[in-house]
Amino acid sequence: MIAQPAPKRDVLARRDSIVAGLRALLPETGVIAEALRLKPYETDGLSAYRQVPLAVVLPETTEQVAAVMAFCHREGVRVVPRGAGTSLSGGALPMEDSVVVGLMRMNRILDIDYADRCAVVQAGVTNIGITQAVQGRGFFYAPDPSSQLACMIGGNVNMNSGGAHCLRYGVTANNLLGLKVVTVEGEVLEIGGAHMDAAGYDWLGLLTGSEGQLVVVTEVTVRILRGPEGARAMLAAFDSNEIAGACVDSIIASGIIPVALEFMDRPAIHACEAFAHAGYPLDAEAMLIIEVEGSVAEQDDLLEKISQICRKFDPISLKISQSAEESLAIWKGRKGAFGAVGRISPDYLCMDGTIPTSRLPEVLRRIGEMSMSYNLQVANIFHAGDGNLHPLIMFDANDPASFEKAEHFGADILRLCVEVGGCLTGEHGVGVEKRDLMGVQFSETELEQMRRVKSAFDPGWLLNPSKVFPLKADAA
Amino acid sequence: MTDRLEPADEAALARLVGEAHAEGTPLLVCGNASKLGMLRPVQAARTLSARALSGIGLYSPAELILAAGAGTPLAEVAAAVAAKGQHIIAEPPDFSALLGGGAQTLGGAVAANLSGPRRVAWGAMRDHVMGVRAVNGIGETIHSGGRVLKNVTGLDLCKLLAGSHGTLAVLSEITLKVLPAPERRATLVLRGLAPERAVAALAAALGSPYAVSGAAHLPAAQAARVPALAWLGGAVTLARIEDFASSVAYRSGRLRADLAAFGAAEMLDDAASQVAWAAVRDALPLAAEAGAVWRVSVRPSAGPAVARAVAEAFDAAWFFDWGGGLVWVAGPATEAAHDAVCAAARAAGGTWMLLRAPEALRAAVAVIPPEAPALAAITRRVKAAFDPKGILNPGRMFAGI
Amino acid sequence: MQTNFTLAQLADPDTAASNQVLRTCVHCGFCTATCPTFVLLGDELDSPRGRIYLIKDMLESGRPATEEVVRHVDRCLSCLSCMTTCPSGVNYMHLVDHARVRIEQTYRRPWHERGLRALLATVLPRPGLMRAALIGARLARPLAAFIPGRSMPAQRLRALLALAPAHVPSPSAIEGARVHAAIGPRRGRVALLAGCAQQVLDPAINEATIRLLTRLGVEVVVARGAGCCGALTHHMGRHDPAMASARANIEAWCREADGEGLDAVIINASGCGTTVKDYGFMFRTDPLRAQAERVSGLAADITEYLARIGYAPTRAAPGLTVAYHSACSLQHGQQVTAQPKALLRQAGFTVVEPAEGHLCCGSAGTYNMMQPEIAGRLRARKLANLEATRPDVVAAGNIGCLTQLAGGALPVVHSVQLLDWMAGGPAPAALAGVSHD
Repeated sequence: MIAQPAPKRDVLARRDSIVAGLRALLPETGVIAEALRLKPYETDGLSAYRQVPLAVVLPETTEQVAAVMAFCHREGVRVVPRGAGTSLSGGALPMEDSVVVGLMRMNRILDIDYADRCAVVQAGVTNIGITQAVQGRGFFYAPDPSSQLACMIGGNVNMNSGGAHCLRYGVTANNLLGLKVVTVEGEVLEIGGAHMDAAGYDWLGLLTGSEGQLVVVTEVTVRILRGPEGARAMLAAFDSNEIAGACVDSIIASGIIPVALEFMDRPAIHACEAFAHAGYPLDAEAMLIIEVEGSVAEQDDLLEKISQICRKFDPISLKISQSAEESLAIWKGRKGAFGAVGRISPDYLCMDGTIPTSRLPEVLRRIGEMSMSYNLQVANIFHAGDGNLHPLIMFDANDPASFEKAEHFGADILRLCVEVGGCLTGEHGVGVEKRDLMGVQFSETELEQMRRVKSAFDPGWLLNPSKVFPLKADAA
Repeated sequence: MTDRLEPADEAALARLVGEAHAEGTPLLVCGNASKLGMLRPVQAARTLSARALSGIGLYSPAELILAAGAGTPLAEVAAAVAAKGQHIIAEPPDFSALLGGGAQTLGGAVAANLSGPRRVAWGAMRDHVMGVRAVNGIGETIHSGGRVLKNVTGLDLCKLLAGSHGTLAVLSEITLKVLPAPERRATLVLRGLAPERAVAALAAALGSPYAVSGAAHLPAAQAARVPALAWLGGAVTLARIEDFASSVAYRSGRLRADLAAFGAAEMLDDAASQVAWAAVRDALPLAAEAGAVWRVSVRPSAGPAVARAVAEAFDAAWFFDWGGGLVWVAGPATEAAHDAVCAAARAAGGTWMLLRAPEALRAAVAVIPPEAPALAAITRRVKAAFDPKGILNPGRMFAGI
Repeated sequence: MQTNFTLAQLADPDTAASNQVLRTCVHCGFCTATCPTFVLLGDELDSPRGRIYLIKDMLESGRPATEEVVRHVDRCLSCLSCMTTCPSGVNYMHLVDHARVRIEQTYRRPWHERGLRALLATVLPRPGLMRAALIGARLARPLAAFIPGRSMPAQRLRALLALAPAHVPSPSAIEGARVHAAIGPRRGRVALLAGCAQQVLDPAINEATIRLLTRLGVEVVVARGAGCCGALTHHMGRHDPAMASARANIEAWCREADGEGLDAVIINASGCGTTVKDYGFMFRTDPLRAQAERVSGLAADITEYLARIGYAPTRAAPGLTVAYHSACSLQHGQQVTAQPKALLRQAGFTVVEPAEGHLCCGSAGTYNMMQPEIAGRLRARKLANLEATRPDVVAAGNIGCLTQLAGGALPVVHSVQLLDWMAGGPAPAALAGVSHD
């Protein structure tokens, strides 16, 4: 179990009065404080880490969030913002003395403006909910993390979520125009709006991906884009990871930027096929999902160009999707990949490092060696276009030794990512999981610089405590 | 003349800033000083230029990344990637004609986070900054981001530093995402549209599935300043499509049909498109105007209202980029005119930047919108978090910060 | 997900089965998004993941169910939308069924709740009682307006009365155990689950099913001794009566299968279908296991069977647009999604689907009586989505949905009634006011 700073004893001692104070600010069902009902809030998508909070609040408006923040600030209570609780880095892990601010009830779409191609939504709207609201007019919200069905836009902003299509459309930060946020003191701030680019400091850019360290996000103005005329995926299967990796380089070098370029290794192919029945090639060592967009003729043209490149690498098979249903099934397998691994292993740790794409074969080889020496299976899923690697380390949580090994294995993989010129996390965030590895990527000077920025927003370090930064700073 | 410091490497840069920090000496931070004519004038005894931190250290076309010293001339970067059929997709503008400065550096383009017409389709300059190295106001060297396209490790200081105009740290090295340059460009031109109608046409173009990567509107007087557009006579409304040649042919045909209600569209070929969009990017239609130039960013549908408001307030020249969302305005360099621009931007819920004006005016007015008190307090604290003694470009963005 | 059961706990086969379910869950949270109660209430505790956690805690601790657990488990519709969504293949149905039994065994509900549940468990599975009760409720319906208060008992009483149809149909002429001979050469022989509540609420559904099947050359047996499938009591956690109902059916159908033979057990109320298909699991430790598995294997929704044997209309297309409402038990419980729509299209209808098709209409067995407030909100949401498709008629494959959605602006019929109509049967009565070609 990961080390956590000591809870504030005075806060724990005032539990009843704090809960009473919160109850005065919110509707009856908006405060949860009974031990048994708090239990399901003890964890998020990374269930290996757990801690029951002091209380959970479920505000319905920005004003209620502001009131809760002002109250907690006055009382010196730590606050953990939470969206759908799908974080894979423990981003919503509570502390014993913290109040969880759940934004799931703020799930309304406030405005859709097709002429200006933007939408204003509350933080608790799901990622896919935005696309569903605008797709009738042919529009979509571009970032598409695999958990897009469930994850909420407020969480996406805080984690700067990516997705399979960010090679073409960018990550969350590239698709935002404005935010409504609440500061730790309970002040409501408007950042940006429906226009592009701040004239002053780029608060939008800084707050995006700040993992709840700086403010609580309650409303988001997102860009919505008109979708292409159509899109089609193809599968290319290869005999080895090296060959598939070389094929990726060759595609990019040709000047074609597919809207998505995904890589799976053999264990991942098998787990996902069992879930999605998408016709993945079970005899392959590595598989690419390549998607292109445009009119049917444009798709044909691009897929032919890509097929020609793939053929140079002796593929086991090349399969171009023939229908929307087939493409959907291909993506269903990829997007359900993490959960699908649950079919072949009771538990997994999902790593999220990024590496220079040219180092993929080497990195996969070394992960394979580690897998042997740790004696833990691993499945690799890779956003090949942008270098984001997701090794899924399988273990058995009912066996403490197995979990400890998996944690070490994961840390080794992330060190390897940094060593080859990459980073610890491409889209899941540092959270609590990679907190203590930050020193691998950043010098103490750099961490101090980031801590000072955090302090500029949150001088008392009340917001989402014990995440992102190696622990020592929290103690101060 | 002020003292001029030109450190030859990052270590020297850190040493010089460290010394200035120790002494509490304000520094005017720049690259080639090409943008000193914009924003607030800086009162500093010394000038610190990063121009000597020059050279491309890493360029990996297959990985779509390039890293170079902040002082590298942008033109050098552009030429290097062009040789591999790639480009800097945010299309950073060159304001040498507008501001009369020299050739800009990569660091300057990032520090100002100014983006060209492709902003609407492909994001801003800051969206393509993968990593930076920089020296903060204490003289400490820090890095943020890296050389990979996806990275959410720690706070994103790249974005904070991009667009901070050298007030938080001095950039020393930048890693950029680059992308394949299109094989072909073409531009649809609609003629004689009034501003509202033009913005509606551009909204239709940007809301089409044909990946329009530029959407501008120039009134007759401004169009006449651009050789590639002058022959058309009258106001022009431009929509650009860039991609493989076959796609450009197909999509421009479809778009032309879709926009038929706005009139019959002329087509600009690849060469004419390049000239026309470079002019839009660099605000050339306003470069020859006397007086001040503002950049107003609003929701696109509010562009015409901003243009109308400024035209009613003073003798204004203007044009739209970003589908109406970026209103370029030229007018007299007076506080009254500035107030009118600010009022119009505020009424539209947007922002402004006083891009060109005599020093006296730039020193006297809010060159960018003042922040709400709670946010202004955060600004002061963040500034102090990087530059506790306030030695880096003091007052460049906000008076007293 | 990690679990903490003792070896002694795991010796209990039900606990062992639940442990397996819990171990499959990776806590990813995908299920929250498609859960109707989470969408409405925005609380982890009212999501599948939250309930899984509460149930896990209850089972691991070995303590009796507490009021909090009961409140959140009771709010679960058992629509099984979460199972369609779950990438890990968590069998939430078996887990929540186990939890309901545990609650029934260890938790004492307030008197009014016990009364209501006993009443429903007694009346609904018995057609004779049900008919009498409906007539009584119809007479009492005007009184609903005079029941005061927002208390749960008051809400439930009003809901009960509101659900009673304005007109209680007379028993069908074909009700009861018998063999309906195939018309023309016999190409198949099936047993029909005649059901309980459905044949009282809308006897026309069984009539249409039998008419259509026999006309297609299929002999239809309503087996002696078969009755309620057990789903109603099963979902209330009343293990013994549920098993008794199921046992009677298994024995009755196995007699038929061993006798003249059966190609399928046809179910035209998909809520029942999900349970019959689960008999094999329900009897996994019972001597009747093999027979139960056999029956589950034979069970088929009417649309599954029709798609298998082939269907063709004999009338000209009526020019009507049908909004197909996918019953949860059909789309999530049995994963039957394509066949009903394909058949309706084959029959000549234009088929449209509402937005949020994965969300429950709020019927969910007795849910609309036990949780009227949530059920009412789901009904309104579903009706709005259905009306937005501008159909002439709504079709669904489950009597619960039909009852829940009736009384809105649109006529609501069973899919099989439309199929029967186009194959020569009478037009469904609900379409009396709808003009068609």
